[in-house]
Amino acid sequence: MLVDETKCIGCGRCIPFCPVQARSFGRAATTGRTVVVIDRDRCAECGVCERAGVCPVDAIHQDVLEWPRQVRSILSNPLVEFKGTGIPGRGTEEIKTNEVTGRVRIGRVGVGIEVGRPGVSTRWTEVDKICRAVAKLGIEFCADNPITHFMVDKKAGILDPAVVNEVSLSAIVEFEMAEEQLPELFRILREEVDGEINTVYTFEIAARLRPDGSTTVLKKIQDAGYEMLKVSKNNLGLGRPKFREEVAP
Amino acid sequence: MTHSLHRRGDVDSLKKDFLVLACTAKGYNDDVFAPLGAEFVRICARHKPVNGGDMKTGNLLYVDPEEIAQKVSSSTIIEFTFDNKQNVIDTIRELKERDLGISIVISGMIDEVNDIVEKAGLPKVHTREYSLGTHGKTKLLPEWEVLEFTTMCGHAMVASELVKKMIVESRKGRATPREAAVVMGKCCSCGNFNISRAVELLEKNAPLWTADYPVY
Repeated sequence: MLVDETKCIGCGRCIPFCPVQARSFGRAATTGRTVVVIDRDRCAECGVCERAGVCPVDAIHQDVLEWPRQVRSILSNPLVEFKGTGIPGRGTEEIKTNEVTGRVRIGRVGVGIEVGRPGVSTRWTEVDKICRAVAKLGIEFCADNPITHFMVDKKAGILDPAVVNEVSLSAIVEFEMAEEQLPELFRILREEVDGEINTVYTFEIAARLRPDGSTTVLKKIQDAGYEMLKVSKNNLGLGRPKFREEVAP
Repeated sequence: MTHSLHRRGDVDSLKKDFLVLACTAKGYNDDVFAPLGAEFVRICARHKPVNGGDMKTGNLLYVDPEEIAQKVSSSTIIEFTFDNKQNVIDTIRELKERDLGISIVISGMIDEVNDIVEKAGLPKVHTREYSLGTHGKTKLLPEWEVLEFTTMCGHAMVASELVKKMIVESRKGRATPREAAVVMGKCCSCGNFNISRAVELLEKNAPLWTADYPVY
């Protein structure tokens, strides 16, 4: 994202709209006038400032992003569709379509670790740390997730060195695994991730429920001492199944 | 992945906060999704959502629901936000009767969602995602009163600084709570931002630290 210094009148209306506080007052390089400047290293290319439409002189515009900077907009601007997944947004369909796809089945769990959320943002060095840590579980990262796409070693969870210095509003590490692996996942996150990253992550576990609405996953989460948020996300099972469920729930 | 899951707030506030979304299953039903998704939009729009939309087209604060319906594509995720449980029950009941055959998801407090599902005449929830909270360097998080607003947009399009500014604008009478909420809500193009909940939060006593907050 760029500010045209020749147009900007330095009103600052765009400054509070930036989710990563990359905008501030500065001096125009050519005239020395007070204008809004963008910290390009911090800017996540989310496009909020432009879409807000608050600039009275139309001085904000999106420049053409070259590799690897373009990954910032893929992960930060929800209007940018990542061709690898074919859906806008940062992650996959995950459990939103689980009754159709059978992505997460009984005995398995879907795991999402959204790095930089809520509202802190992340440099991908931190994403790389988390991917490497959880890869020790022998899991398979979701193939249709943008972060997985940018790995050079999907078994070891190693991101392409070309992208690790990039920044995004968040980045979701997604994988499925056996429910029995949950205690080890919790240990890895607590012992090898929580104190080692320079950002936050928000963490979710998805489970296929039994017909009575129960799941053994819940007890494993509670036994590990996690305090769950009050809100949940629920697939109602109204889509037409396109798979055969091998294990009766 | 978790656009609607990790909302923060107290119980009374979250009890008035529901999201209903429809999503295409790529490679399974994306070829037939568009007209079904359009019907989903029209059904939801009949039951008084407080916001909603499609990230590509925009949200109800600046786009007509019929325009959203007509622009549903094979890769769309369409989402509607409600502040009233009965309206969600009525929506789900109508979706069940219409039997669109596409995936429908509700985000909300667990007990409330279970009750909605039962009253709408559906079997128990098929798959549930639980939020295990935020970890790591949590001292980087903004204030709780700010998170209550910013987490209503899972894509983090509503900036912390904007929330602080709008709290001040509202507190000082330069914008009504509704006007301030709409400024924030327009940033969330998916329409997940619950306008009526934001108005209620703004009408509460503003935190004292906002009194000296610089406003551009």
